[in-house]
Amino acid sequence: MARTRRLIAFFVAACVSFAGLVQSAGATGLISAEQVAASVGLRTAADRRAQVLVTLERADVSAALAERGVSLDEAKARVAALTDAEATQLATEIDKAPAGASELIGTVVIVLVILLFTDILGYTHIFPFIHPAR
Amino acid sequence: MDLPHRAELIATPFFPQTEYRCGPAALATALGAVGMVAAPTTLADEVFLPARGGSLQTEMLAGARRHGAVATLIPGTLEAVLREVAAGHAVIVLQNLGLSFAPLWHYAVVVGYDIGASELVMRSGTTQRAVMPLRTFEHTWARSGFWAFAALPPGELPVTAQAAAVVEAAVGFERSATPAQALRVYESAAKRWPDDLTLAIGLGNAAYAIGDKRRAADVFRTAAERHDSGAAWVNLATVLMELGQKNDATAAARRALADPQWAPRASEWLARPDVLH
Repeated sequence: MARTRRLIAFFVAACVSFAGLVQSAGATGLISAEQVAASVGLRTAADRRAQVLVTLERADVSAALAERGVSLDEAKARVAALTDAEATQLATEIDKAPAGASELIGTVVIVLVILLFTDILGYTHIFPFIHPAR
Repeated sequence: MDLPHRAELIATPFFPQTEYRCGPAALATALGAVGMVAAPTTLADEVFLPARGGSLQTEMLAGARRHGAVATLIPGTLEAVLREVAAGHAVIVLQNLGLSFAPLWHYAVVVGYDIGASELVMRSGTTQRAVMPLRTFEHTWARSGFWAFAALPPGELPVTAQAAAVVEAAVGFERSATPAQALRVYESAAKRWPDDLTLAIGLGNAAYAIGDKRRAADVFRTAAERHDSGAAWVNLATVLMELGQKNDATAAARRALADPQWAPRASEWLARPDVLH
């Protein structure tokens, strides 16, 4: 019994001290380089990123992403790795999406998965390259 | 600096692409060139969009970061690409091998050039040593908007990169890096651009994050005095407070009140209970 209690106490102490570490790291109150960079240009980049994440969470959107081979976790990880400037750009695309029900989903998914930033991706397998005539 | 007439990074590994996966293959090649091992199949999960059969440019940058490399866009000039190669940096480029109205997008890695022969050497597609006339390359590259980047280990910067691109790269890298890695990036960048406020703030934050509060305070103080930036004054105040220098900290925070952008933050700081009492 005493041993059990000691074990519990140990775990609680470990958890509390860990929580303390996490909190002190999160609550440094220092202004980050990213915030300073954003203050030079646009504001509230964090809000814009949150907006993108909320959009991902929508059942219809995540289902549409899954249909295209991108899991919700993977989509979130991708968004997390974007810079504020990039996330803001993505949020702007979402804002531009028409508001009609199925059209909205279609547009959001197209924006997220396909158009991301209008200029895109590599799909080639015609190789070796054939020199253009000039 | 004069550009050598020819250069080739022959040690750059080669990962032939499978199907449409030139993005992951190019990324694996560039990461391998700087000794970072990442399998194209792993990268494919991160940067490849199965339904679309390709990788987005932004995700190529993010993918490099997630594997510990700093992905920095370089200027869209042939000279910049050649200079990077001459400096030992492989360059990932996006080409449009089709026509503007029928695009055929392709990522490749530039690893060499020969000005005399007017040729570029690339790891591209399924060809380990693809040689392309400079002129042809320029046309295919122009159709992608001259998009190119270098993926380098923290502490090393592309020789041709501009400050804005390096700020963007450092801030992006920091999101998924350890404080020690972020510190190396900001150190190298702030050394090259000592007058850049954002880089100084990043350097101070990174020093703080590894626990070097005195250095953080020095960096913030220098930046605050040089730019009279409210953000730097507030950060200086926070660090000085933690170092037990309450009077200096309060004085620093008051300086921030003059900067309209950060004045609210400074007022908030001055209203902290530990400052008031």
